[in-house]
Formats: sequence, structure tokens, C-alpha cells
Amino acid sequence: MATAKRTLPLSKRGLSFEMFMWAFTRFTVLAMYGLILAGVIGALAVSAQTGANWGDVLRWAFFPQTTANPLATMLWMTVLAKLMVTAFVLVVLGHGVHGILEILDDYFTSALARRWFRNIVIAYSVVASAISLYVIWTSF
Amino acid sequence: MGQERNVNLFTALQYKGQGPMLTYILHRIAGVGLFIFFTTYILALAGVSAVNALYENWLFQIIVLFCVFFHAINGLRITILDLWPQWQPYQHRAVRIEWAVFWPLYVFSVVVVIWNAFGG
Repeated sequence: MATAKRTLPLSKRGLSFEMFMWAFTRFTVLAMYGLILAGVIGALAVSAQTGANWGDVLRWAFFPQTTANPLATMLWMTVLAKLMVTAFVLVVLGHGVHGILEILDDYFTSALARRWFRNIVIAYSVVASAISLYVIWTSF
Repeated sequence: MGQERNVNLFTALQYKGQGPMLTYILHRIAGVGLFIFFTTYILALAGVSAVNALYENWLFQIIVLFCVFFHAINGLRITILDLWPQWQPYQHRAVRIEWAVFWPLYVFSVVVVIWNAFGG
């Protein structure tokens, strides 16, 4: 049985907002995998050089206000790690809130409900980003 | 405009979508679980110390591990099949490979969590 063609080339689909968000969701997945891989390899390399515990490096990266910084003597590495965690949190947030909106849009069909959910999710994104960035960059 | 839904839950559960349908549902459930986890993470960053007790609960860890592993592995399958649509006819095989990757990882992680909680 012949298989029906499931996709159109990008040139025929056009770049609408929906198309952009479809691509955004897929590419943020790849970005998360890339950041996780780079983070794990980086943590392994640093722990091999400094003797710092591999678990402590990752724990500090994600809970910087409760875990001592095992990279304190390597300022450039600390800044790089913070940049990577910042990128990871923002990518996760973008991917996550878009996914939640997709689900809500599927089950709540009135225009009013959708508008309110959109507003709430945007407000959530702003507050969550602000808290994350503040803690990541002000803790040592 | 939104679409009208005239399918009740019982009828929906009888839908024979098989493996890909199950992964579609589980992907959504795991995604919502991760969103809740992310919210607790933001609360922990904001200094709500009560959340730390939640993180040390083994049951919470097992649920989060399911959400993380399943959502990540299934998301990779979706992304690969979306970016290379010529592989779509093999989606049932891709789902079987996905489970074959997921279960060893998840069972190993659950054993480690339970070992640390009760034995270690």
C-alpha cells in the first residue's frame, strides 16, 4: 500500500506563528539534549581536574543557594556554568509553557478561557524567569 | 474557534490507537508532571524551604524520574520522526525501541532511589 505524503516542504508551508512554534518545540528539545551533554562532560572534566565531586558540581549548578560552589577557584568556569544553566532554564521554560498552552488549548475551547490562560502563562514565565536569573547570578 | 468535543472518556479509552496513542497520552501527562516539578524548582530557588523535603521523598523522586526519562526519550523520538518524516512508516518500531531504551534506564534509577531510601 502506498504511503501518503505526510509533509509539505517548508517553502510551501510558509512561516506562520504556528509553524514557528512547532519548529521551536522540536529544536528546544535538541538544545536541551546538547546542554545536558555539554554539562555532564564539563562536570566530568572539571571534577577530574580539581578533584571536586561530580555530583556537587551538578548540584551547585541547579541549587546554587544551598550548595557550596566547587568551582570557586575557577572564575571563568563558574561564569560559563552559570551561562549554561541560564540557557537551560530559559529553554526549558519556553518549551514547557508552550506545551502547557497547547494542552490547555485542546481542552478549553472558549476564546475567553484561552485568552486568560495565555495571560496567566505569560505572567508565570516572567516571574519564573526573573526568580531563576536572580538566584543564578547573585549566588556565588 | 475551538472544536466541539463529543467523545466521552469511556469512548476515548476504547480508541485503538495502540503504542503511539499511549505514548501521546503519557507524553502529555509527563509534561504536566515536569511543569509541576519546574514550578517546585522555582519555589526552591525562591527560598521556600518546605519544597526541599518534597525533593527528598523517594516516591516524588520515582515519579519525577518517570516524567523526565519518558518525556525526554519520547520527545527525542517525536523530534527525529518529525525532522525525518520519511521514517514515519516505522513509527511502531520506533515506539518499541523507545520502550526498550526507557525501561532499563528507569528500572535501574528506581532501584538506586529505593536502595538509597531504605537500604543504603
